[in-house]
Amino acid sequence: MIELLTSFLASSVMSASLLPALLIAVVTASMSVMVMAHRLSFLTVGVSHASLAGLGIAVSLSLPLLPVATIFSVAIALLLALMPKRQGISEDAGTGILFAGSMALGIVLISTATTTRVDLFGLLFGNILTVSADEKLWLYLLASLILIIMLLASRAWWSIAFDAVTAEASGLPVNALRLLLYGLVGLTVILCVKLAGIVLTAGLLVLPAACAWLWGRSLAHLWMLSVAFSIIGTLAGLIWSYAYEWPSGASVVLALCGLFVISWAVHGIRAAIATQK
Amino acid sequence: MAQSIVKVSHLRFGPAHKPILDNISLNVEAGHFMGIVGPNGAGKSTLINIIAGLTPADGGHIDLMGECLTRYSRHRLLKQIGFLHQLHDHQPRLPMRVSDVVAMGLPDYAMPWQFGDDKKAILEALTLVDMQELTERDFRQLSGGQRQRVRLARALVRKPKLLLLDEPSAALDSVSQDRLFRLLRRLCDESGMCAIMVEHDIAAISSHVDSVACLNRQIHHHAMKGENIPDDVWRAMYGEHIQIVAHDAGCIGCTPGSQEANHE
Repeated sequence: MIELLTSFLASSVMSASLLPALLIAVVTASMSVMVMAHRLSFLTVGVSHASLAGLGIAVSLSLPLLPVATIFSVAIALLLALMPKRQGISEDAGTGILFAGSMALGIVLISTATTTRVDLFGLLFGNILTVSADEKLWLYLLASLILIIMLLASRAWWSIAFDAVTAEASGLPVNALRLLLYGLVGLTVILCVKLAGIVLTAGLLVLPAACAWLWGRSLAHLWMLSVAFSIIGTLAGLIWSYAYEWPSGASVVLALCGLFVISWAVHGIRAAIATQK
Repeated sequence: MAQSIVKVSHLRFGPAHKPILDNISLNVEAGHFMGIVGPNGAGKSTLINIIAGLTPADGGHIDLMGECLTRYSRHRLLKQIGFLHQLHDHQPRLPMRVSDVVAMGLPDYAMPWQFGDDKKAILEALTLVDMQELTERDFRQLSGGQRQRVRLARALVRKPKLLLLDEPSAALDSVSQDRLFRLLRRLCDESGMCAIMVEHDIAAISSHVDSVACLNRQIHHHAMKGENIPDDVWRAMYGEHIQIVAHDAGCIGCTPGSQEANHE
């Protein structure tokens, strides 16, 4: 085991991808608390899949992938926030429509693109091991922006998640804060695409808080636990990926799933013992 | 003369041909405790939501603490209001301690630079509702009545000039209900807080409040303490099929003879 860890840390590919992966872990863990609190799990699935259309547009027009996909994802997330109110369509139906439509558009655009530079497998399932210097810079910028906004707005979002009506009656601009949250989910999705890909991104945005939810006793406590689970899952996933040559994104999501099962089982056993006492 | 806290003039809400609220005028002063009663669909919650700045009125004028309620003054005015709305989501999901829930009622809770909550104010608010022993308890593990008392503490922690309550006693047993109404009465008397409370059961509130407004689209009657509510007002609100039952003579709407307590 120690030999594996030494070899993992000595690997130039792994050491280059470790910092971006851990940064993504911290950001997604923080965001996942709000995703769980506001019941936005399906939204993250929708936005991540819809971002394929943004990537398709970038590929077709030979534009930089991540900036175009970022704008597209934020636009889709905001559209999902506004659509139900304006047109009387439920949020899950709206998400389903945009999810399917954008994904179909993305597949058509990418399949007809003349360029051969697209790593479709990497887009769909992620590959943090191939992160370029430009992508790293983009990732650091996005991560800083998301964390700063999270720090500024987290208490307001928490208050809205607990009781939106009272939050609004306290004078909070609930609608504007919701839009900001949805937009930030869009940004976070793009941040995750490099690690987990379009298909697995939702895992990073749901699982850390899901693991912590059973144990958290307050917002701060939940946040810390979520970050801890996310870092452990990311490290374990990358080590698995290195040891068995598995895809990095899938390995991280599998590790987080494993943590969730353990967390859930331990909590259940503990509750059963407490009931018997 | 006490300061006017809520002044509603000719308020209208809903379509012109079938308004939900029509020509509502009220003036409630500091220290006044007012109950609003009326049948289902009478517009009681709508009126409370309009005063709380949650729903814009379609006509009329609202002054809160002597200042016109507009989208620009709303944010500042609402910091002086406590609000306890009708419960919809009975089962809370978020992991939170009781003290965290109460902290959400502090006026600057959501401000980004707010580090550390006013623990003294939180404890005082919890003491008012007799929940000071449970500050560290998980809010999800409380009973429905305990949760409602914590929510009330959240509304009180900002020391509001105006407290708006929409059926606050729905989750409470009769002893807790009576305790709640006594607390509200005491806060109005001692701190000059003004309270406006929607309730179904006039018999439960009438000995505590200063006045009762009978609402069904319009305010049919605004009875002050010791004043009788005529039978035709009850019939205008609830229809001809109600039973008017004699009740305690010391409360609003009740004088010896044919008085109201329960309407069916």
